[in-house]
Amino acid sequence: MKKVFAIALGIVTAIGGFLDAGTVATSGEAGAKYGFGLIWAVILATIEIILLVEMVGRFTAVSQKTYADAIREKFGFKFYLFPLASELIAESLLLAAELGGVAIALSLLTGISWHYLFPVAALLVLVLVWSASFDIIENGPALLGLVTLSFLVGVILLGPPKLTLLQTLWKPPVQQGQFADYLYLVAAILGATISPYLLYFYSSGAIEEHWSGKSLLLNRVTAIAGMGFGSIGSLALLILSAIVLRPLNMQAGTLGEIGLAMAKPLGILGSYLFAVALFSTCLGAALEVILAVSYNVAQGFGWEWGQNQNPVQTARYYTFMIVFLLVAVIIGLLGIDPLQLALFASTVIALFLPISLSPFLFIMNDPAYLKDKTNGWFDNTAIILILLIAFAVAIVSIPLEIITGGG
Amino acid sequence: MKKTGFSLPGLLALLIWTLAGCQFTQSPFALAVSSAGAEFAAAATTLSYVHSGKITAQYARASFVNYRSQLDGLDQQLPSQQGAPGKTTMNHLLALYKVAIRAVDQPCLAVSCNWQAQVAALNRASQAFLKVGGS
Repeated sequence: MKKVFAIALGIVTAIGGFLDAGTVATSGEAGAKYGFGLIWAVILATIEIILLVEMVGRFTAVSQKTYADAIREKFGFKFYLFPLASELIAESLLLAAELGGVAIALSLLTGISWHYLFPVAALLVLVLVWSASFDIIENGPALLGLVTLSFLVGVILLGPPKLTLLQTLWKPPVQQGQFADYLYLVAAILGATISPYLLYFYSSGAIEEHWSGKSLLLNRVTAIAGMGFGSIGSLALLILSAIVLRPLNMQAGTLGEIGLAMAKPLGILGSYLFAVALFSTCLGAALEVILAVSYNVAQGFGWEWGQNQNPVQTARYYTFMIVFLLVAVIIGLLGIDPLQLALFASTVIALFLPISLSPFLFIMNDPAYLKDKTNGWFDNTAIILILLIAFAVAIVSIPLEIITGGG
Repeated sequence: MKKTGFSLPGLLALLIWTLAGCQFTQSPFALAVSSAGAEFAAAATTLSYVHSGKITAQYARASFVNYRSQLDGLDQQLPSQQGAPGKTTMNHLLALYKVAIRAVDQPCLAVSCNWQAQVAALNRASQAFLKVGGS
């Protein structure tokens, strides 16, 4: 019974925790600009994250080591600094965007400008990471994040899409001069969905929750069902934007206007549901980002770490956490719109994906870590394909950022 | 070690040149007016939704803060953007902008004021900007 509960909780939290500021921004903009023409990118990114999460969970459960531990051990400290540096740059931008997302959500509920609410969001995150246990941080916002399933209700209430919109599924409406923007969104969708922080967080979480070789079923079900169903929120938001915002000539350039897509089928309730969904998903992601990066640094430098430990025993881990939060707050206080920041952060993450993901191919085939649970041919082929896609995306992401001016 | 003549900045410059030169991308002016047109459309929809009871006044107020930050200062930037049109078109756009930005700055969220006129101004600006931007 306990095992069934653990599996159910794993699925539910993965569903609730799938979306964040990046996925909301990219799904909204993709639907508003290109109809259903980028659904393929969301599905591709979902398949990739399912495979990666399953692998990193299997690795940790069997080896009792985190992904960061393994990179440092296998490739040396100097190599480890590359993924670490890329994480610090990309995730500080993403954390600022997530804090901005929390502030925007509160702003949509209260009418107060998000600029004033940004410090409130940062303070809320600080209090939670300082005082809450791992279980609360992992499950609390994610359970609240189940509100994102209301996006699916919105899609159902809107009824079937028009034939012309349906055709954009296989014939994306990319007009002359828009191809760079279309590719930029593909890169941003991949970067937003396959965020490496998820892998570091998931891996460290498996240690916090004392996973072992017996947890492989839980890991597989959480990865496949949780992430698979989790992407429903992302897809539903894209479809809502395509049906509601696109005919109105809107491009989902701000987070608030994406919520208008929910207000059409559900009225005021829809706008509240969107604000609550944005709040919970961005809060959950902010907590996960800050924990994932702090875990990564602590593991790399050999510090004591763990959310269930006393802050006195893990002083350096907690100090880093506060410093990292402060950096994100400084970035956020520059006043850049959170949606634009989320898109930019997603592209930067896409740029760094090869650095974060390359070690997978070697680590997942090392029997010293995984015994008889090393990757088979399917997993290895999948990783090679994921890496090829990551390299292609990395090469085009920065030129596209320059050309399109960031979407 | 023999030099290959390959460099990352060179490759990026080539990629940008290729993408930009092959009509893969719009001019900075077209990008700016398209995005402004879409923001005016969003502002018009927000105003209509608040008066038809689909969203709260708080939601609308918070949204307009963001529209304002997207649209503020556009009249200063547009004339100097690469790809800007002739004087007549530019003056027409700036005139529409002037009226529409007033609605964005002071949206009529109460029933007592003439919100329909603001929606009309925002829609006029949106359509003109999107047309010039090629969207």
